[in-house]
Amino acid sequence: MLQTHHLNVHIAQKKCLDDINLQFNTHDYLCIIGPNGAGKSTLLKSLMGIGPANKGSITISGKPLEKLSQKELARNISYVAQSHNRHLDFTVADFIKMARYPHHDIFSTWTTDDQNAFDSAIFLTNTEAFTDRQIPTLSGGECQRVMIAAALCQQTPLLLLDEPTSFLDPRHQVEVHQLIKNLNQEHEISIIEVTHDINHAVQHSLHILALKEGKVFWKGRSKDFLASSTLSKIYDQEFVILKHPETGQNIALTSERA
Amino acid sequence: MKSFHVLLSITLVCILTLLIAPHIGLSKNTDPAIASHILLQIRIPRVLLAFIIGAGLALCGLVFQAMFHNPLATPFTLGVASGASLGAALAVFFGLSFTFIGMDSTSLLAFIGALTTIIFVYSISRFGGGFSTEVLLLTGIAVSFFFSSLILLTQYLSDITGSFRILRWLMGNLSIIGYNDIWTILPVVSVVTLLVFFFRRDLNLLAAGDDIALSRGVSVKNLRYVLFFSTSICIGAIVALCGPIGFVGMMVPHMCRLLIGNDHRWLIPASCLFGGAFLILCDGIGRLVIAPAEIPVGVITTLLGGPFFLWLLIRSRIHIS
Repeated sequence: MLQTHHLNVHIAQKKCLDDINLQFNTHDYLCIIGPNGAGKSTLLKSLMGIGPANKGSITISGKPLEKLSQKELARNISYVAQSHNRHLDFTVADFIKMARYPHHDIFSTWTTDDQNAFDSAIFLTNTEAFTDRQIPTLSGGECQRVMIAAALCQQTPLLLLDEPTSFLDPRHQVEVHQLIKNLNQEHEISIIEVTHDINHAVQHSLHILALKEGKVFWKGRSKDFLASSTLSKIYDQEFVILKHPETGQNIALTSERA
Repeated sequence: MKSFHVLLSITLVCILTLLIAPHIGLSKNTDPAIASHILLQIRIPRVLLAFIIGAGLALCGLVFQAMFHNPLATPFTLGVASGASLGAALAVFFGLSFTFIGMDSTSLLAFIGALTTIIFVYSISRFGGGFSTEVLLLTGIAVSFFFSSLILLTQYLSDITGSFRILRWLMGNLSIIGYNDIWTILPVVSVVTLLVFFFRRDLNLLAAGDDIALSRGVSVKNLRYVLFFSTSICIGAIVALCGPIGFVGMMVPHMCRLLIGNDHRWLIPASCLFGGAFLILCDGIGRLVIAPAEIPVGVITTLLGGPFFLWLLIRSRIHIS
């Protein structure tokens, strides 16, 4: 459903993405990992058409990105940013409902389709309890769920997430991880997620794309990732791989040895 | 529902103001014919003009605040008032006197001054590709100071009559006779109001942040251009007609936000109505305080606006900490 072909992005003469060729299929769940400054967020923003100017091509369902209007794009892809402006003076319900924008024109009114999208978004994200609250009063975990709810209310086949669990405590991290996995498996939403949580990527996603210095360093199936021993090369940091006592899956821990 | 009730109350207050204001200060023992002439040709046009101007100023202020995510970004803080004033001052200084499509020379030069300044400030802040609200505001302030000193210089070099006319223009003025000026300004303000109302959903998303707006499908860049230039034309026309009437565009949207919340579907009509009523009130105060003499309406709004500005600063400091 989404391809990039020789994608290059420069920000202020610095090369941020270097010849990215990506083939992303429907119902896939791709995690993008890599060190800080590797170009992960830039890649996500380019796919969303909100990044800096780029060379190369991005096609969505066979159509070049630049041929799509911003609204058409927003009917195909929704996006949850890395950090949020927490001073949004809207109620949770109003903010989530605003995400129906790409399905509306100037004259359209709130339809049953809109209401269904809203209801299912707050149900899936378990945000029903606080739809009347103001966004600035939410905790970090609640706010993140509201942002995901808004993206779901947009009802797009593809959802992009930029470090959705970075600022959350372990319990809320697990909650959001389960939610994303559920969206992918039960609701057939394709997911591209940027994350620093390698174990989460390995456990939950179907494919991993590792970026380093703007280049694709490794790509493949998530379950092959830890066995490929590229991890330490990606981050220039030694890791130890062990088995999770409960699941038996491989997990990576940073090594204390220099 | 709450928003609906608030808007309904604002509308009622507004209608009452419109009905009562023309009658205030009418002397009872004047000849009925003269009284009715004063009412129809002077009082009612003046109240209507105050309403339209107030609504337009509030609307443009609202749009700028939403577009630039900054409570201090209004067409006035971006230098439009000083640009218009410089244009008007130059027209007086050079003794220009002609009319062009219903505008006299002072208004025309003020209009040109306003538009040139706002486009100039906008282009400078975009120069080099980067763009931030801070740069935009600082450019506006720098340009305002520069133009203010040019206005002072023009005033200093003018003769005493010219100097007084410039000073009087700088204070803002709503006194008109008959309805001609109303027919000039009403179409501009109503078209821009309608246009902004069409973009109410877009403005909500824009206020939530550029990235959110883009990811929801708003063509942020195009929307900014359309809104920026339409409101600039509106503000230019208003200032050209009535002089710089400061602070309405900053105060009214904030008051409305406190009353009705941040949803532009409600905020746009509320700001227009509130702004209109507010300016009628300020003009009424100006007419009555030292009657039969008048205090210019721009002085009243600025006297109220200064303390309001400080209150806003202190409040936002508390908000942050």
